Amino acid sequence: MAEKPQPRLAQDKLAFLLSLVPYLMDHDRVSVSDAAKQFGVDEEHIREAVRLIGVSGIPGETSTYQHGDLFDIAWDDFEDNDQIVLTNLVAIDDSPRFSAREAAALIAGLQYLSALPENADRAAIASLMARLSRASSSEPTQVAVEASETDSTLSLIRESVAKGVQLGFDYQSSRGETEHRTVDPVRVESVDADWYLRGWCHLREAVRTFRLDRISNPVVTMEPITHAASDVNLPDTLFEGSSDDLLVTIDVAAAAAPLLADYIPDDAVSTELDGRVRTTVRVSHYHGLKRLIASMPGVATVVAPDEARAVVAGWATAGAARYRN
Amino acid sequence: MSTPKPAPRIPVEERLFSLVLALLATDSGLTKDEILSTVQGYRQKFTRSGDNSSLERQFERDKDDIRELGVPLETIDSPGDPGNNQNLRYRIPRGAYELPSDITFTSEETALLALASMVWREGSLSAESRRAVLKIRSLGGETAEPVLGYAPRLRVRDVAFDPLRTALEKHVIVRFAYLKPGEAEARVRTVAPLALVQHQGRWHLFASEPDSGINKTFLLRRIVSGVDLTKTTFDAPTADQTEKALAGLDEVWQAHVAVVEVEPGSDAATRLGKRRGSTTTDAGTLELHYSDINIVADELAGYGPEVLVLSPPELRSAVISRLERTAADHG
Repeated sequence: MAEKPQPRLAQDKLAFLLSLVPYLMDHDRVSVSDAAKQFGVDEEHIREAVRLIGVSGIPGETSTYQHGDLFDIAWDDFEDNDQIVLTNLVAIDDSPRFSAREAAALIAGLQYLSALPENADRAAIASLMARLSRASSSEPTQVAVEASETDSTLSLIRESVAKGVQLGFDYQSSRGETEHRTVDPVRVESVDADWYLRGWCHLREAVRTFRLDRISNPVVTMEPITHAASDVNLPDTLFEGSSDDLLVTIDVAAAAAPLLADYIPDDAVSTELDGRVRTTVRVSHYHGLKRLIASMPGVATVVAPDEARAVVAGWATAGAARYRN
Repeated sequence: MSTPKPAPRIPVEERLFSLVLALLATDSGLTKDEILSTVQGYRQKFTRSGDNSSLERQFERDKDDIRELGVPLETIDSPGDPGNNQNLRYRIPRGAYELPSDITFTSEETALLALASMVWREGSLSAESRRAVLKIRSLGGETAEPVLGYAPRLRVRDVAFDPLRTALEKHVIVRFAYLKPGEAEARVRTVAPLALVQHQGRWHLFASEPDSGINKTFLLRRIVSGVDLTKTTFDAPTADQTEKALAGLDEVWQAHVAVVEVEPGSDAATRLGKRRGSTTTDAGTLELHYSDINIVADELAGYGPEVLVLSPPELRSAVISRLERTAADHG
């Protein structure tokens, strides 16, 4: 008798149907392509939903889904011209409310975004959050994110994008070396509490990613950008693996392994023994590795190669030595 | 097309959609029998005077799925026959279902909300905020394009997050094993969850102990067991729990100050110096705020010789023992 749980997909499809109907009601006639743009889905997704809406309805007085109890659309217009015209409406008048969890997810996301310079208007954000709460079917669940610090560099990045000019700054690598860079800014990304600038680097003549907290003395220059955002192809991942990367075998406490997920290549072989996982991490140089491993004392240990073990041991020993003077 | 032929298999979304339409259209409500025998997707499987228990279970699951979307599916007791489940009536009251008509969003706000939905990189928050954006898009407003591409992302890696969110919503007591920072053995805690908050990049559970009523804060990454949801419910707390939790965490963070020496020009100098609340003293040392001694000790140990902890003494010795441990493990 055991039945499979419904795939989450069906719930999402229902949410889409309940959202699409009011939109179609507000537009006497709308093309499939416009509707697809509005909802950010592909056109076939819209057609499939419209076909289902067109034959759906309520049981009605006769309990047999008579013609007047069903939605109807101008089928010829739909099939021949890809146009959607609802010709009979049932049951639905308006857009649905948010669930408590949906509203909470958006509110917590907004709290995080309030750090961005263009969202610095706290009153406007607060009004938006209040409306989300009121539009929720019950009190939004209590989830909150502390607003991160507004970084003045973000405002300068934004200014240089708006003016279409290059941004100059001193950049310090994780090895401690500082170089002057000029960059055509393309996108600002964050991962958890860390912010990054991605753009075209004129020194390296390639797309590069910069940590905001390693940027010093940023200046909006007078030099026009040479690479607009539309010309630059940004990889999906923040940092691309390269063929020069070093592979290191480590032992890590099973519970802490997810913390290293970003460093573990997809094809890594992991084996678990006595609560420790032996796996492979990929690093661009040992300068990064020694910091990573030293920040997980007793939790992660380098197994091989010997050179990597020696670099980590040297780093920790030098750290401990500072306390013996 | 007035009477669609019974299809051999009705897609799940068609059954759910038909159920919502039928319950929106009724003022007095429909009984379970009426629903199962007439609504598209159920009626095809309904047997008159037969055993419909499997169909009834399906209806129970469908109700949960629909409610999870924020659809207020309610039950009305039959006035003449209270308590009789067979006579319960189901409906979706229009006023509680529909977005209030005065709720509107400008094109800039719609763009901001779309961005807010993308903050969540994975998991239930991501799926739920994407659904919320669908509902906003259904209002038909245009979306403004931002000047600069932003892709801010938060991750929720803590496995305890989703079950705790469910417990928050249902107001049920939870049980989990917690490894308190500085202790070697985990202890089982039984608490009423009040809020989930992210502070200084880490997720915390704000909860109260049911017996003492004392509020406590737990780090999600130190919950070392699964989270059990009990059947014991508690009264919904007031709506200001997240503010209280964040204020409490900030107080702890303000109260803890470490004084460290950083190697000029090093990565530690750049990153610690730019951290919120960090100040450089006249003597050239750096004052840092922190919430938890074990967490900040791990972090400072990562900087190796770039950082020398001057005070407090317990942080100094915590960093030394960490560096010695790492050196020994790799010797």
